[in-house]
Amino acid sequence: MTVIHVENIVKRYGNHIALDHVDFAINEGEILGLLGPNGAGKTTLIHALTGIIRFDSGRIHVFEKNLVQHLVDIKSQIGLVTQEITIFHDLTAKENLQFFGRIYGLRGATLKERVEATLALVGLAGHASKLPSKFSGGMQRRLNIACALVHQPRLLIMDEPTVGIDAQSRNYILDTIRKLNKQGTTILYTTHYIEEVQSLAKRVVIMDEGHIIADGTVEELVSKIHHEEKIKLEIEDPSETMLKKLRRIEGIKQVGLIGKEVHIISQAGAGNLDRVLAIAREFGKIYSVEAEKPSLEDVFLTLTGKRLRDAEEE
Amino acid sequence: MTVFMFVFKRFFRKKANSLSLLFFPLAALFLPTGEWPPMPLGFQYYSIIILFLASRLAGIIMEDRANRTLLRLSVAPISHLQYLWQNMLAYSVILTGLNLVFVIAGAVFHGSSMPSPVQLFIIYTVFSMTSLGFSLAWYSLFRNTEAAYNILGGVIILMAMLGGVMWPVENMPDALQRPVMLLPTYWVAEATTLVSFREPAVDLIIPMIVLLLFCFAFLLLGSRRKLS
Ligand SMILES: Nc1ncnc2c1ncn2[C@@H]1O[C@H](COP(=O)(O)OP(=O)(O)OP(=O)(O)O)[C@@H](O)[C@H]1O
Ligand SMILES: [Mg+2]
Repeated sequence: MTVIHVENIVKRYGNHIALDHVDFAINEGEILGLLGPNGAGKTTLIHALTGIIRFDSGRIHVFEKNLVQHLVDIKSQIGLVTQEITIFHDLTAKENLQFFGRIYGLRGATLKERVEATLALVGLAGHASKLPSKFSGGMQRRLNIACALVHQPRLLIMDEPTVGIDAQSRNYILDTIRKLNKQGTTILYTTHYIEEVQSLAKRVVIMDEGHIIADGTVEELVSKIHHEEKIKLEIEDPSETMLKKLRRIEGIKQVGLIGKEVHIISQAGAGNLDRVLAIAREFGKIYSVEAEKPSLEDVFLTLTGKRLRDAEEE
Repeated sequence: MTVFMFVFKRFFRKKANSLSLLFFPLAALFLPTGEWPPMPLGFQYYSIIILFLASRLAGIIMEDRANRTLLRLSVAPISHLQYLWQNMLAYSVILTGLNLVFVIAGAVFHGSSMPSPVQLFIIYTVFSMTSLGFSLAWYSLFRNTEAAYNILGGVIILMAMLGGVMWPVENMPDALQRPVMLLPTYWVAEATTLVSFREPAVDLIIPMIVLLLFCFAFLLLGSRRKLS
């Protein structure tokens, strides 16, 4: 099932085109990473998807229903983690969840159970009756996430949920997302931390200046921009037979020997590292392996000519 | 009715709110009888208290807007109108309850020197609605919460002075006499003054209608703005 299907969306702010004929889809059970520099239009896209803003043209289907026509029904099955912290500061963590649980129609024992489970899920069970003003930034972020989870949405949309928090909270959040995904929640995850996307999402969409400029698995995107991978092995006893054998592997372009180091150039994405290692092992001990692989960061840089804001700020 | 219920939690959690709800009406109760209007002055000044308390109550909506909590609410299955309406209903319940307590306490405390408690209660309650509408409209004009809140205090006092709550409008310059009729405070002062002179109840109809019209206009103005 296609959970989100966006076709040709255009959104203008005056003369500025925030979304310029955007197309993309998410399938059920997927975690899709949405990457883009500042002002790329990520938040605008998410706001269009959740009915917060109107778009000028195009079509959006969520759960295979037209968004505009079935807005209320669709809304009740979506959880949105907003980029800003949008919790009630005058209600405790528990009351915040009770409030949003009730808004989504939960009552009585179910509500109680869901509130407790959600607090536990984000690791705030011990702080249930504290006001958010007593929380650290990371805890506020986690409560911000919890408020979008209490009604167990089928589709979870997260707009930079880990921005500006400590590593521990961040890992906690990433683990939570994996857990939810295992339980069947479809997730659209926006971030400017490339490592997060790489560790969470199978598929990545990259946006820049209102356009989608890349869409595919991390491997696909990487192989698109890089055509070769370099592998360097240090081996106990490199022999000519071994080099010959290595040269015969499909996709291997070059094999050279410098001292005890074997330098190999392989076509990217051929998955040759395994094969190379298997052959090398037949010929004795391997002291070290270095594989130089282009990262998603390189993809991003190549496609947009920009670094993600992360790198600029640090 | 979730929004409605949570207003009580949120409002009364702040000590300053509970205290002002208790302190100001109590203080008004002890004000002596004046020459103008001929009744215990607390019954005249109470309308300023209503305006002030309404501004604190409606501050909740302002806060939700400033904290962007409204953004989250706008993806929830609840309409903006529902949200506003439930908030306003809760504020009205709180103010109406307070008006009732104040009028009863006034009757007990001042006895026969108090003019018609029923008429006063009706005036206060209608003016409560107008005040809530006014605050909502006021806050919808500002981006900055602090500024909106701070200026409002002064605006309330100014409206009370110009509108004839503190002294008769007739004492003010001629040029001002007509323009001040555009202030809701003019009409509430007119009404309480009529009551203090124990004029027939029908005379209250026009001020009440004008106050309700103000309320309606303010609500229309204030409910248009959603986010940011
Ligand atoms: N309400 C608005 N009015 C005018 N322009 C807007 C509005 N909202 C967004 N924009 C513009 O649209 C563009 C896309 O903004 P958006 O917030 O979607 O970017 P983003 O990818 O989420 O960026 P960030 O990583 O900073 O959150 C920006 O150029 C922004 O200035
Ligand atoms: Mg954004």
